[in-house]
Amino acid sequence: MLELQGLTRRFGARTAVSAVTLAIPAGQMVGVIGRSGAGKSTLLRMINRLTEPSEGRIVADGRDVTAMRGRALRGWRAECAMIFQQFNLVQRLDVLTNVLLGRLYHRPTISSLFKRFTAEERAQALATLDRFDLAEQALQRADTLSGGQQQRVAIARALMQKPRIMLADEPIASLDPRNATVVMEALARVNREDGLTVIVNLHHLDTARRYCDRIIAMDAGRVVFDGPPAELTAERVRDVYGVAEDEFHEGAETPALVA
Amino acid sequence: MSGTSDIAAWRARYPRAFGPTPMGRALRYAGGAVFLAWVAGSFWWLGITPERIWNGLSGLGVILRLMVPPSPGEQWVEILEGMAESVAMAFLGTFCAALVAVPLGFLGAGNVVTATLLRFSVRRVFDGMRGVDQLIWALAYVRAVGLGPLAGVLAIFTADIAVLAKLYAEAIETAEKRQVEGVTAAGGGRLAALRFGILPQVAPLMLSHALYFFESNTRSAAILGVVGAGGIGLQIAERIRVRHWDEVAFIIILMIVTVGIIDRLSAALRHRLIGTRR
Repeated sequence: MLELQGLTRRFGARTAVSAVTLAIPAGQMVGVIGRSGAGKSTLLRMINRLTEPSEGRIVADGRDVTAMRGRALRGWRAECAMIFQQFNLVQRLDVLTNVLLGRLYHRPTISSLFKRFTAEERAQALATLDRFDLAEQALQRADTLSGGQQQRVAIARALMQKPRIMLADEPIASLDPRNATVVMEALARVNREDGLTVIVNLHHLDTARRYCDRIIAMDAGRVVFDGPPAELTAERVRDVYGVAEDEFHEGAETPALVA
Repeated sequence: MSGTSDIAAWRARYPRAFGPTPMGRALRYAGGAVFLAWVAGSFWWLGITPERIWNGLSGLGVILRLMVPPSPGEQWVEILEGMAESVAMAFLGTFCAALVAVPLGFLGAGNVVTATLLRFSVRRVFDGMRGVDQLIWALAYVRAVGLGPLAGVLAIFTADIAVLAKLYAEAIETAEKRQVEGVTAAGGGRLAALRFGILPQVAPLMLSHALYFFESNTRSAAILGVVGAGGIGLQIAERIRVRHWDEVAFIIILMIVTVGIIDRLSAALRHRLIGTRR
């Protein structure tokens, strides 16, 4: 169970996320929707503590995440893996090493700095890559892969962390429709087969409706809807955002996802 | 999660994923051994021993003690004049070199000059000029035009043309082709393509190189003075000869402050002219 209590983040005078309170049970697949600047990314980055909250608390299974420091904080980050819009792979390293970076928290610092990973970890990394049909590319440099492949490598890296939560910040916004489907399927598999909690930021209502158990809609830093996809009807969207669903999508900066 | 049999299976499929081959490992160790032998051999051949380094350090300690407190001495006006002269030499030399280097850079760039023979010869001339150090040029110019700042300016100018032209040529080669294509497609000629397609892309880099060279040349202008090519170096050399270490310390501090000021000014200038891309 992940609890956010009155989570707030201000950048100067602007409030990006305003007093968000949520409880997310383990194993749920949650879609966070909203237009650019609604505070989705900031919310996700605060859960991973890449961005520090200005106010409020994050509690995971009774542990106060907001108070964590040093090794405890690194442990938390390993536990809630992050997927980025631009993949954030190390371009000049090979795919296998990128995936092995997911083991950094679990290994002594010195040996990992010399790229010393055990044979078991290497086999595990290959097996994880193989789940996403990428074992063949293991020894290529990351920048030789397409966007969709890179995002799947990022998911493999995240899985190597042995996480319990996966946070995905607009994972398909830089991908073409076909690759977007492949990556969303991969996230859904991770949720279904590995039992991970998945929290994914999305631009598109259709994608969220299709893959998620629960949808959270944000606007100007606040949660304006929280419920199952079936409840987020066209009328609700109009109520919440004051525009029809088509116009809502016009505010988004990405092409529509053809599922 | 995965048992030993799995590891073996993966190792069989992708042996390279589990580390280098025995051959590769041997080559790596051999390379390391050769490198270590090279380092140790250099120490031995040059006669560098810990004892000599230690003695040298204690000599340096004596000098450092004589430097405190730094003092401008009686001829501080001369020191200030020398410093100003060094800055002026560095500025003039770098400015002229940067100007001349722009057309030379275009001539040496593979995406501008497609005639391989011409480009190759231009490049080799750069290489030749870079092979001769600034100090050698200074010595030559002191003989040719006499003692004084002119020799220094010429030395900086000659030595920097080649280096700047090479850096500029490399910058031009990394320029994006599409922007040039856009200008050509709009009806621009070859020169217009260079002027509007390439120059705006590389001008910021050229400017920052030139400003960095100006700062670095202010420092090296001190050396040029030692061989009689004008500037602060002459003042330093004289004071070292008569062991006025406190005045040497004063000059060093003055140089550090001057270079710091130039660095600040050029950073501000770069910011103003280039702007920050958002």
